[in-house]
Formats: sequence, structure tokens, C-alpha cells
Amino acid sequence: MTTLQIKNLHVAVSGKEILKGVNLTVHTGEMHAIMGPNGTGKSTLSQAIMGHPAYQVTSGSITLDGQDLSEMAVDERARAGLFLAMQYPSEIQGVTNAEFMRAAINARRPESDQMSIMTFLKTLDRQREFLSMTSEMAERYLNEGFSGGEKKRNEILQMMMIQPKIAILDEIDSGLDIDALKVVSRGVNHMRSDNFGTLMITHYQRLLDYIVPDFVHVMMGGKIVKTGTADLAKKLELEGYAGLRDELGLDIVLTDEDADRLVAVKHE
Amino acid sequence: MNEESLPLPEFTKVKYRTWQLDQMNPSQAQSATSHFLTDELGIEVSGTATSYYYLPKYLVAQGVLLTNINTAQSRYPQQLDKLLGQVIANNTDRLTAQNAQKFNTGILLYVPDHTVIKDVIHLNLNQLSVGGNDYIARVLVYVGRQSSVTILQSAHTIGSDTTKVSLVVEVIADVGASVHYANLDAFSGKTTAYIHREADIRDHATLDWSNVAFNDGQVVTKLVSHLNGEGAVSHANIMAMTHHKQTQGFMTNMVNRGRHSLGHIYQRGVILNHSTLVFNGIGQIIKGAKGSDAQQESRVLMLSRRARGDANPLLLIDENDVTAGHAASVGRVDENQMYYLMSRGLSEKLARELVIRGFMGNVLAEIPTNRAQQAVINAIAEKLKNEN
Ligand SMILES: Nc1ncnc2c1ncn2[C@@H]1O[C@H](COP(=O)(O)OP(=O)(O)OP(=O)(O)O)[C@@H](O)[C@H]1O
Ligand SMILES: [Mg+2]
Repeated sequence: MTTLQIKNLHVAVSGKEILKGVNLTVHTGEMHAIMGPNGTGKSTLSQAIMGHPAYQVTSGSITLDGQDLSEMAVDERARAGLFLAMQYPSEIQGVTNAEFMRAAINARRPESDQMSIMTFLKTLDRQREFLSMTSEMAERYLNEGFSGGEKKRNEILQMMMIQPKIAILDEIDSGLDIDALKVVSRGVNHMRSDNFGTLMITHYQRLLDYIVPDFVHVMMGGKIVKTGTADLAKKLELEGYAGLRDELGLDIVLTDEDADRLVAVKHE
Repeated sequence: MNEESLPLPEFTKVKYRTWQLDQMNPSQAQSATSHFLTDELGIEVSGTATSYYYLPKYLVAQGVLLTNINTAQSRYPQQLDKLLGQVIANNTDRLTAQNAQKFNTGILLYVPDHTVIKDVIHLNLNQLSVGGNDYIARVLVYVGRQSSVTILQSAHTIGSDTTKVSLVVEVIADVGASVHYANLDAFSGKTTAYIHREADIRDHATLDWSNVAFNDGQVVTKLVSHLNGEGAVSHANIMAMTHHKQTQGFMTNMVNRGRHSLGHIYQRGVILNHSTLVFNGIGQIIKGAKGSDAQQESRVLMLSRRARGDANPLLLIDENDVTAGHAASVGRVDENQMYYLMSRGLSEKLARELVIRGFMGNVLAEIPTNRAQQAVINAIAEKLKNEN
């Protein structure tokens, strides 16, 4: 079993504190979901775990099986078993999707045991078909000109090829049409095993109908303020973040506080 | 004509006077060994001799001519006269004059009207760097009316003497012709070179350059498209990489003379170590070229603090009814791309190589054969190996 442990994590971006003491433990075999209002620090948490240079850990710790991640470069963290499906994946021209994925797989293998092109292509074809992606996508340049939904699907394809121990999926459902959402969910569920854990960031309860989480965490104001089961997501959908905040007696200002009232007014 | 009295060509911000490019003696060296072509359509000229040749019969039957320029002088004087000195006047400057007077090798490609050639035509020039003398070559290309060709012209150094190169290329794209001229310049670190390509693009003709400058030595490269015809089109896509202590300087010029003509310059350069790369781009619209379009974009990546990079765009516009624009930047490796690749486990070194390749990706993608693309990819990796 592999464990990702986050203890009292504080993270700053350009000198501004965004995460203010996050505690979270993810074991392989578990599915976690994080929900929370815009700008509350969900992506910041995922970038800090992966080691994006712009996000400084000011106190607290992140460890993977006891090993302190702060001492590891981004690529070392990835090779240790972490994966981040990004909210906004980069585009890189001149490098094909297939070449990139093979390089990623081979980066995890010793020089003397590199995956052959044939084996790679076979695996790629299988996973690609599983995600209903055309063979043309593999030969296209990495994310270049991909639609929003295609990029998300491609992130999941990479995850399935790389087979990480713990995957963080940042809004993997945003921009997906209903069918694509099912396909992507199928990919994630296919990975589900005792050797795989995930931390899904989402805004929509809908995703959690397809990928049923073991735990749902709510993040507000740079902290996890409540943890529950899948039911917590359903409750949030009904009551909104303001309801939960008031219930917990938290002193946090929400930008879209009046959203419900606005919708109501419009319908009048 | 007194060659000495002519000026040296202008390469803004490139100090190359001490390279003595105007003092060359043509080498007579020749070799029957081909180094690059094995079964491709094309010609390889090593020194002054043809070392590989293959032109399919059906193209011969259509009147396509592909020859060593020395053969052309004796056997095809008519076609030669149509081209030689016609795009680049012999007295343009001291270096063109020298080339016109002293060239003793090169290639002539003549494609008659209404001839569509699907296969890539390879034009390989090998400088034999032995005996201390210089390499002075001329390449002439005529593409007839409504004809279409893709050319891949490569230039390499064989041998390890310290010498110089003068390579001048003239291209005519006649009415309605479509030409893709890709070149891979890869002269050695001991070769100091002057490379000059210029094209006359007539009514409704298109000429696209894919100019890959992967030389290891001191080089100045001039590239000019004369958009003489109505609706003439030219894209000059340039990628260059410099390393060690070398300097590569470019002067790329689009001259819109025809109405509704379009000239776009797109340059991408990567600078390593102590090297210097200068991109000068000039978009020039002549009075009367109504409805024409001149654009340019030049971007340079600096990978070392000791590197020097320059991107100087210039628009000279003498007509009101036109569109024009330019963008230029000198920057460093895209951190987000690096992060993305490394987050998948790629080492920093490999990620960098891929990001750099991506930076030049637009030009790379246009290189006409997989083999040539792979050669460029390998050259990128090779140059990065010596990075510090
Ligand atoms: N690279 C950055 N530079 C400057 N500010 C940043 C950066 N990354 C995040 N922030 C700021 O940190 C805060 C948290 O952003 P983050 O992206 O973590 O929110 P989020 O919870 O993922 O929101 P969303 O639901 O909209 O994706 C925001 O105020 C954001 O503007
Ligand atoms: Mg986010």
C-alpha cells in the first residue's frame, strides 16, 4: 500500500498565502473527491503536491510513503508514483502524443529494459480504444489543437499508460459532454484497484455518480472544512457552500454568495 | 566590373567583416562517393563532381532537367541563361559578384510548364573540405507555369580543413507555379559561410521556404522573396540553432511588388552556450502593391546567460491599401511546458529537448521527408549535448 500524506500544509503563490493548513491522507485503494468554491485553493493543492515551482510550501509537509516530497524534483515525484491530470494541460508542438507517452513510460524503466515500440503501440491501442480515441490522436502533436474535451481525455489516456499509484485529477470533468464524461469515468474506474488511489477535484456532483468516491472533502478558504461520504456531495448540491459555511460557523466570504437568489430573481 | 569596389551585403547587427568572405579561392576537389542519397529522386554533388543521380524516366520524358551545373554550361546553355544572374544581379554586392565569377560547382533544376512532381526532389551539396581551398557553388531552379514541386536541398561539409563557403541559389516560380523549397544547411564548425537564396515569384505563384540553419560555424544567410506577380505568395519559415561560440546572422526580406501579394516571415531560433543568433526581417511593400500583406514573427530562445540573441523586424511600406504586422521576442524556455513534461516523469534534460523541439515545431513539421525531420531532431539533441 502507498500513502500520500499531507500535514498542516501552507502554500503561498507570489507571496500570498493560499493554503492555510490542509490535512489529508490518501491510501492506494481509496477514491477521494475534493469540492469547493472557485479560487479556494484546490488546484494550488494539486500543484503543490506535484511540485510546480510557482507554489511555495511555507510550512507543513507532503510525504509519499514517509518520504518528504519537498526534497524531490517534479520528475522524481512522478517516477515515485504520482500523477496529476491538469486543469489546463500544456500544448507542445513537434512532439507527438505517442512519442511523449513512450518517453514517459521509459523514464520509469531502467536503460537496459526500455519498452519496445511494438509493445508500446499494442498497449496504446488498447487503452486508446478503451477511451474511444482515434489512432490519429496518438500521432498528433501533444495536445496541440486538441479541443477542451480531447485534452481531458488525453490526460486520462496518459494516466492509463503510465499506471501511477496515486492520481490527482483536477477538474477532469470540465468541458466534457455527457458521453465523454461516461468514457472518462470508465477509464478512471478501470484503474480502480488496491494499488491505485485517486484525488478528484470537481465542481459537479454528477461526476461522482459515475466515479463513486469513498470520501468527499470540502475545501473553503484554503482549508478542508469538512469530510464525509458521497452523500456530502449531494447535500452540497442542494444547499450550496454558504449553507455549509453557516452550519460550520466559518468566517469566510464567498464571491458568489447570492447565486441562488439571482437565479430565483431571473425566474420571477 | 570591379568586384572589389562593390559593398559587402548588409547583415544588421552581425559583425562579419573579419570573416573575409570576399576572399575565396574555389576548390577543385571532387569525389565519386555519395554520402547521403541512396535511392531518392535527386542529385548529390560532392565537390565539383556528381556522386549520385536518379531522375525517373517519366520525368526525363516530360522535359525535366536535373544536372550538375558544369554539365549545364556545356549542354543546356539556353536554360542556364534563363536563370543565371536573372534573380540576383551579379553586381548586387561584393559576395554575389564573387560567386558569379568563381563558382565551379552546383546544380541546375529545370521543370517545364504544367509538370506536377509529387516526389520530393533532393539536391545535395557536399563541400569537400580538403586542401584548404573554398567551396563556391550556385544552384539554379526554374519551375514552369502551373507546375508544382517540392525540393529538399541539403548542404554538408565532408572533411576537416578550415575553409569558406559561398552558396548562391536563384529560384524562379513562374506563373501559377507552386514551389516548396526546404533546405537543411549543415556546414561544419570549421566552415565560414555566406549563403544567399533569392526567388522571383510571378503571378499567382507560391514559393514557401523551409530554411533550417543547423551549421556549426560562422554563417550569414540572406533570403529574399520577390513577390513580383499579382497574388504571389511566399512564406519564409526559418529555424536556426547556434552553439559553442558560433554566430549565425540572417537577413530575410520579402518584397511585395505585385498587387494582392502575400509575404510572411516566421523565424524561430535557439541559442546555446556563448553563441550569437541575429534575425533581421524586412517586409517591404512597394508603391502600387495594393491589397498586399506583409507579416513577420521572430522568436528567439536563449538557453544560456552568455548567449546573445537579436530579433529585428522592419516594415518598409510605401502603399496605403495594405495589411502588415510584426512580432518579435527574445525569451527563455517555457516553464509550464517543462513542468507538464516533467510531471509525467521525463527528466529535465529530455523535457528541455522536447520543449525546444516544440518551439521550432511549426518549421519542423513542414520539412518534407520523415528522414530529414529525424535528421533535424537528432541534430537538436546533438547540439544540446554540448550545452552547459
Ligand atoms: N500561479 C498563480 N499566480 C498567481 N495567483 C495564483 C496562481 N495560482 C493560483 N493563484 C491564486 O490562488 C487562488 C487559488 O487558486 P486555485 O487555482 O488553487 O483555485 P481553485 O480552487 O482550483 O479554483 P477553481 O475552482 O476556479 O479551479 C486564486 O485566488 C488564484 O488566483
Ligand atoms: Mg482549479
